[in-house]
Amino acid sequence: MDVLGGLYNGFAVALQPFNLLACFIGVFVGTLVGVLPGIGPVSAMALLLPITLNSTPEAGIIMMAGIYYGSMYGGSTTSILVNIPGEAASVVTCLDGHEMAKRGRAGPALGIAALASFFAGTVSIVALMIVAPTLARVAVAFGPAEYFSLMVLGLTVLAFLTQGSIAKAMLMACFGVVLGIVGIDQITAMPRLTFERLELLDGIGLIPVVMGLFGVAEILSNLERSIQREVVDSRIGSLMPNKDDLKRSTMPMLRGTVLGFFLGILPGGGAVIASFASYAMEKKISDTPERFGQGAIEGVAGPEAANNSAAGGAFIPLMTLGIPPNVVMALLLGAFIIHGLQPGPLMMTQNPGIFWGIVASMYIGNIMLLVLNMPLIGIWVQVLKVPYKLLFPLILMFCIVGVFSSGSAVFDVFVMTVFGVLGYLMRKFGYESAPLVLAFVLGPLLENNLRKSLILSRGDFWIFLERPISLACLTLAALILVAPLLPTFAKKREAIALDSEK
Amino acid sequence: MVGNAQMWGALFWLAIAIFVTWAGRDLGLGKLHEPGSGFALFWIGLIMSGLAVVTLIEAFRGKPESLASLWHGTRWEKVLLIVGLLLVFGFFFDWLGFVVCSLGLLLILMFFVDPVKPWLALVVSFGATFGVWYVLTKWLKIQMPNGILAPWLG
Repeated sequence: MDVLGGLYNGFAVALQPFNLLACFIGVFVGTLVGVLPGIGPVSAMALLLPITLNSTPEAGIIMMAGIYYGSMYGGSTTSILVNIPGEAASVVTCLDGHEMAKRGRAGPALGIAALASFFAGTVSIVALMIVAPTLARVAVAFGPAEYFSLMVLGLTVLAFLTQGSIAKAMLMACFGVVLGIVGIDQITAMPRLTFERLELLDGIGLIPVVMGLFGVAEILSNLERSIQREVVDSRIGSLMPNKDDLKRSTMPMLRGTVLGFFLGILPGGGAVIASFASYAMEKKISDTPERFGQGAIEGVAGPEAANNSAAGGAFIPLMTLGIPPNVVMALLLGAFIIHGLQPGPLMMTQNPGIFWGIVASMYIGNIMLLVLNMPLIGIWVQVLKVPYKLLFPLILMFCIVGVFSSGSAVFDVFVMTVFGVLGYLMRKFGYESAPLVLAFVLGPLLENNLRKSLILSRGDFWIFLERPISLACLTLAALILVAPLLPTFAKKREAIALDSEK
Repeated sequence: MVGNAQMWGALFWLAIAIFVTWAGRDLGLGKLHEPGSGFALFWIGLIMSGLAVVTLIEAFRGKPESLASLWHGTRWEKVLLIVGLLLVFGFFFDWLGFVVCSLGLLLILMFFVDPVKPWLALVVSFGATFGVWYVLTKWLKIQMPNGILAPWLG
């Protein structure tokens, strides 16, 4: 099926009334969680995942995807108006976006953020459409050794890019694999780390783990300090940027789109890294770098384009290889599996309606988001004024409801509580949750492919080194692990972490 | 040294790593050409042990952070209260049912943990509990335990 034919069929799926509704709910909820600090796309997706079980796989996945790219749009609103990023990928938008708002230019800042998001989101979907089928054809030749090495590379990159100690991040990734392995061994049918609990025979559920580590832990961390929000109260005014704003923003938007797309594809990369990289690049090539941090519109346009483009790019490894490059995609993989689908190289031939339906829904979703973001800014500002003390009890209740309804088991509520406490303590002690969750999802695949490789090679580890793609992935992973030992790389990595902390 | 927070964190993970290694060995390593159920666990446990030792060494670099400093000036008692409430919620969920448990949780959170105006707490608690219950059970057909209110909620 060619690209245009596929897209035509995709629109036929995406334009079905129920799928349109799912898309709208997804982007609306995505924008809402992007706007609200304290609940991110991961928690929202985990929360709504059980609800999608009653719908068709197309509608469920379209809604989940909508939440992700919708949150990228919404995140900029809080960054600009409150100086609190709604989600991590909008951290860098605070630097210049909020400065613009303080100088009475909140309208153009919000406007350019929405325009850049729309432009980059649309371009990245076109690129996804072109790149994904080609990569899927290549990926058919991948064997267990390639998959294993690619997953090792993904986890290593993620560990490298997280803040703080790499040893801690790798430790979390290993622990994630262990948690993913809990349950019946698929090959020998032997229960592993189940502590004779029947509930653990099927493994630990993804939703309780994610809700605990991201939802409950976030609430516990926020609650131990009082949150003061300062919403820019001055009139937002016209959202349309002026001629000079558009002239200054065009090239940063283009550069951010290209950069974000490629960083989104990389395993372990994603929207957060893309937005930081775009900001750093714009500042470096600018003739007036001193304007950055003082309300430069390029500092909003570039990163906003980059994080939205990365959101589109991140679908490529998931759809073509079945490997999620980040936590959000890991959750989407969970959604695919729950709906009885296996993303990978055969997805486009076996389930073309779903693949192209998702792609087409992303076009529609981007238009919906532009419509939602531009005129509804006033409503989002009102939402921002809802005090956290009123929000957190509701978020907590939704966490419990989401976890219970995913498996109808009270045991899952306890699992969520345990991971909530663990996540809270991990934040306190400087351990990152993202490598843990990604490794948790990849764990069973990683182990399976390792064992399959060893069985195929009759126990010879050379299988990982004699296959070019596998060798390239493992070499890259080894270089990444060695890189922090070199002072130049260590400084650059620290700089990224420091910027994120700001 | 005893109060070094990062040291305790590293020791905790070292203990987990040793347990994972032991569990892997206990499950059976198998042969290289036919790895057993514990093969991956054993090797991951060993890698975790190595990483935990590196983290332990890192804990003694620079100025150590004390355990008490992590909670200094925070409202840690609210954190404990929420964890306790979640556990109580879990224990009574099946018996009391979704409506009673959720209503109780929301009221306690909004009256005692981080208080809001009483009328607002009542409106939000009752509205959210019954609203969510109705949407879940009537629209989405998701079964929630009705507990002691089963005769009235149907």
